[in-house]
Amino acid sequence: MPHKIKPLLLTTLLFVSALSCFGQSTTGTISVTATVSKFVEINSGGAVTLTGNSGGGVTTDGVLNSPLAVSINLGELGPVNTNNFVTAQVPLKLRSNAGYVLSMTATVTSSGTTANRISAADVGFGLGTITRTGTGVNGSGTDTNATSGDPTLAANGSVNGTSGRYEFTAVRSNLSAFSSATTALSGPFIMNAVPRSNGNGLTVPAFFAIKPQFFENGTTTISVTFTVTAP
Amino acid sequence: MTRLLLSFLALVIVLTFTPVVSAQALDISSGGQPTITGAVNGSVTGSANVTNDLVVTVNFGEVSPLNTNSIVKVVVPIALRSNQPYQVSVLISGLTVGTGNALQATDIGFGLQNPRLLGGARQMCNQSTHIIRSPFNNDPSTTATVGTSGRVVYPSTLANISGSTLLLSGPELSKNNSSKRQQSDGWVFDAILTITPQFFTTGVSSATLVFSIAPGPNVPC
Repeated sequence: MPHKIKPLLLTTLLFVSALSCFGQSTTGTISVTATVSKFVEINSGGAVTLTGNSGGGVTTDGVLNSPLAVSINLGELGPVNTNNFVTAQVPLKLRSNAGYVLSMTATVTSSGTTANRISAADVGFGLGTITRTGTGVNGSGTDTNATSGDPTLAANGSVNGTSGRYEFTAVRSNLSAFSSATTALSGPFIMNAVPRSNGNGLTVPAFFAIKPQFFENGTTTISVTFTVTAP
Repeated sequence: MTRLLLSFLALVIVLTFTPVVSAQALDISSGGQPTITGAVNGSVTGSANVTNDLVVTVNFGEVSPLNTNSIVKVVVPIALRSNQPYQVSVLISGLTVGTGNALQATDIGFGLQNPRLLGGARQMCNQSTHIIRSPFNNDPSTTATVGTSGRVVYPSTLANISGSTLLLSGPELSKNNSSKRQQSDGWVFDAILTITPQFFTTGVSSATLVFSIAPGPNVPC
């Protein structure tokens, strides 16, 4: 091969090779992934209803769809209050995309020093009627209420024939059953595939009741914490 | 002998150049840096260089109500070059989504918007326009609505892609006949993907969109 041809051939092949490396393509790809994790929340289901009280009142009320942070002064709980019960009804709203468990922990502290002071067993508790309604709510779910409902119902308590003290006797009908985190309610997923801006959910009233009695005088503080999880 | 070698050399050049010219007639590449907004633990990766291939990975991240943003939006610029009428199609592969309350193809908004010139060597045709095919001519982040069930609906979603689905067509896109990708020889369109965080059933979903460009309807420039 003549000496002038070899460099020319080599140059040409290199040039062509370079042109072929500009990577034209008639296809392109977009790969997509997305993740949905378990989500549960508890909020206020609305305003608190306080009945049978003598003095006292709702110090910090519930605001619908806002974080639950309610403060209630039950007022006088001695025989000065002649009502049958002092009852606070606190609406709760739950939402989830998975099965949920609502548990509760309660502490009761009293300035009294005797057995006649108000104790956790003297504070009736129960969850009322569970409602799953509204656009975007899974209406077919069946919830399990682990409490006995409204503690003031006759079936849920009575006067102890021996001691004469009124007692909330039904299953998980007073706060002594919730000294540690204890399930109060559970069920399947609450919300269908709707945005968080959808304001609906599961609503349930939480009842707290005390029967005025000859308790030891003093002040009592009741603290209740609700926790919802998706096991 | 010398004449024979020169003839052979000329033949090599012709044969080698022919497929190169043909290959650059229709081209898809990155149209710039993809972006993501409204994401929690999400990301998008892809080249900002318009001479690189279109290879984009989108992670929408968390799309349950744990993400309190109103929508997760991804914009992927796609550069197109052609020296002839073209059409762009898309197909889905590896689609893993659920049913019922799980994330479905209908929950992923998909549209094409914002056609614009890619620099000075683009072709401006005045006898034909670039047509984004129905129903994809929308920005799903602005056209999303809440349906009667409470679930968010879009005018166009990944569910509108069936097999190889036509997205776009039009006249030639490039003015020069350069044999290589240049920074300024075509048009750019934005592919927009959206998911509105909702109370979806838990899980992970994925899909791959494959865009392809081919000779299109013979429209004048």
